[in-house]
This record gives sequence, structure tokens and C-alpha cells, in this order.
Amino acid sequence: MTTLFVLDVEDFRPLAEVAGKDPDVTVRRRGPYLEVAAPGSIRIDRNAAGRRNAVWFSSVAAVEDGRVARWDREELVIEPDGPEE
Amino acid sequence: MTSLEPELLAHTVRGVDHAAFPTFDPRATITFYRDVLGFPVVHATCALGWGPGDHPDFIHFFFDIGNGDRLAFFYYFGVAPYRDTGIPELLHRARHLAIHVDGEADLAEYRRRLDASNWPCELQVRHETVESIYVTDPNGYLMEITRPLRAITPEDDIDAALSVDALMEVAGEPEPSLEKFFARKAKLIADRYEGEPELVTFA
Repeated sequence: MTTLFVLDVEDFRPLAEVAGKDPDVTVRRRGPYLEVAAPGSIRIDRNAAGRRNAVWFSSVAAVEDGRVARWDREELVIEPDGPEE
Repeated sequence: MTSLEPELLAHTVRGVDHAAFPTFDPRATITFYRDVLGFPVVHATCALGWGPGDHPDFIHFFFDIGNGDRLAFFYYFGVAPYRDTGIPELLHRARHLAIHVDGEADLAEYRRRLDASNWPCELQVRHETVESIYVTDPNGYLMEITRPLRAITPEDDIDAALSVDALMEVAGEPEPSLEKFFARKAKLIADRYEGEPELVTFA
């Protein structure tokens, strides 16, 4: 599972909320973190998350079995580790 | 040793006594910190070098930056201005002093003082936990004044501890990267909270 961790504080919680709208995505609590997991890619729209710049670009706590494929002003995309990796 | 089994060292330090920097323009430095920002001058050492050697004569002067903490400068008589232009700007500006204010009104007041001076505020940023204004002082040093946006929580502290543990591991290996850091930190989180995770809904 492609897994994104965000810290469960008000700054970063909206990322998990936005990601969780995808039916393929599950969100679980892991200690102080929200563990966002999906069998494929995890995509989070910046506008939907409503995060200002400095918060948006510090919102990823950790990534398991995947990699940050895109993280710009519009979107955060975590893709599953490819077979070549 | 990781933060999961902390070695309990007594923590008896009490903040910043002073941080000191060289200045080649004491008039501008005093104008900026004393007259523009309103930081009182609280001490000055006027010294004949250090003994009989070739150490230049100097004035070491201190500004009160609140909370009993001080910011100090050395002005060396007869020493030519020097700036290491070989240092990339990114790294040069990474060295900065951030001074704390308690609230939005205080931050706005210091921004007003800067904007009315020859050293206007260059940037105002809301980070996750603080809001900051930035200015380059007359010596070229980046200075930040910052106010809290929210309280730091135990969750923030746990995250910080896991971050530095992951960084310690990744930085000790060849070709450290943010990608490797994220992966290592994810394993630390999973190990630390391996119990049955609780499903979350945002209904």
C-alpha cells in the first residue's frame, strides 16, 4: 500500500480529509499521525486542502512504499514504488 | 540511542545570553537596532585590543532583545570590510537570528517601524506554527521577527523527535535525500505505533 503520513494537527489534517474522499483511500490514526493509504497513487489537490504556501510545502511527515512524484503549487502526488525501484 | 530511549541529561541552560557578530558599519548598525527597532543599548566594552599583540582595538556593544537576552556586535578599528562572496546566497541567508514577539499587534508594529526606515520588511510569511517578517540588517545579516500562530503540542514534539532520528540515520548513509528520509521516518512511525491502527472518518 502506498502510504502517506501527516501529523494530526490542524495545519496538516485537511490533507488527510481531502485524500480520504477517494473511495480507494483509507485513513487510520497511528499515534499522533494520520496514515493515508491506497493501493495505487494518492493525489491531494492544493486548493481543496486550502493550505497556505509554507504549510503546504511542509505537510508530508513520512512516506512508505511510495515516493513523492509531484509536489507543487497545485497538487501533491504520492505514487507507489515502481518495480524498477 | 534514539529519542525512544532518551538519555536524561539535566537541561539547565536558560536561553541566549548573547549572540555576537562583526560589523563594519557601526553607525548604520546602531541606527537600525537602536533607533529603528527600538532595542536599548545595554552594554559596551571599549577595548585596547587583546594585550600587546596585533589584535585590533575594538568596541563590543550590546542590544537588549528582550527576556534578558542580548545581541552584540564587534567593531574593529582599522579592519577593512570583508564579506565572503564565495558563500552561496542560500547558505549565507540560512544563518539568521529570529527574535520572538508574543502577538500579531507586536509583529505589525515592528513591521511598521521597518517599513518607515531605510530597511523595509522584505517578506512576511505564515508558516505552520509561526508568522514571520524578514529584513536584511545593515551588515547583510538576515533577521527574522516571529510570533506564534498556535501552541506547540506534544504531537509536534513527537514528530520533531522522529524527524531527527530519521535524519541521523539517513545522513549517516551515502547520498542522503528527502525521499530516503521520508521512507525511514515512515518505518520509525510504523514501529513505534505498531498496535492496531484506528480507522478515521471525517464525517
